[in-house]
Amino acid sequence: MSADPRFDELIHAPTRLSLVSLLAATEWADFKFLRDSLEMSDSALSKQLTTLEEAGYVEIRKSFVGKRPRTSAKLSPHGHAAFAAHVAALQEIVARAGLAVLPDQVH
Amino acid sequence: MEIPPIDAEIALAEMRARREQVVETSLTPAWYWPAIGVLMVLFVASVESRIGWVIAIGSILYALGLSAVIIAVVRKARVQVRQDLMGVRGALAIAAFALALVAVGLALGFTLAALSVPFPATLACLPVAAGLVIGGRYLMSYLRRLMLSRPLASSR
Repeated sequence: MSADPRFDELIHAPTRLSLVSLLAATEWADFKFLRDSLEMSDSALSKQLTTLEEAGYVEIRKSFVGKRPRTSAKLSPHGHAAFAAHVAALQEIVARAGLAVLPDQVH
Repeated sequence: MEIPPIDAEIALAEMRARREQVVETSLTPAWYWPAIGVLMVLFVASVESRIGWVIAIGSILYALGLSAVIIAVVRKARVQVRQDLMGVRGALAIAAFALALVAVGLALGFTLAALSVPFPATLACLPVAAGLVIGGRYLMSYLRRLMLSRPLASSR
């Protein structure tokens, strides 16, 4: 199944593009993994996650491992659909320009 | 909104790089397979020695060692890779790898026992352990390639 191309400005912002790309490859990701991977502060990452959560793109889960609180995030179905549409839009732009692009279809 | 094609290509490259980061994190570390192989051989050898205290020590070391390995891997797992990246092919590859090693171990063990070779189970475990070390590396390499060959996005 192909997603309809739709450029998503919320996702395309540089930090969020990286964040959503990480989440799109996961079922869920630990907050610390995201923070370390993106080299962001806790507060900066929280802010980006909140923005995505308010848009309905991300679900945040808080749990305890032993006595330690653990926060993880996952892309919601709505977020996955938006990411797929954004990928399709980018690929369309690249293909239209005739640039060499690795074939990567959304299914 | 329209962006320059080169910016679109850079964004796609960033997406691929981030997916690779997730895939690398999700694979078992290089020491995992040798550790499992060594533990397995030590455990089987201790049981096959038929000496009470050797079996006891071997069993305790096996239990502690396996627990330590599993805890280390679980603690490292800070991310769960998207299921459809692994897919049916990935699951089948893992199952085939495990079944092949079990089949080799059992066939060799029973053959050596039938030939009255001493310590047949331990001897049969040696190629299985080697298979874990060598094959585990190839399995991880295969799974890595497989996951990176999947589409960037999955619509759900």
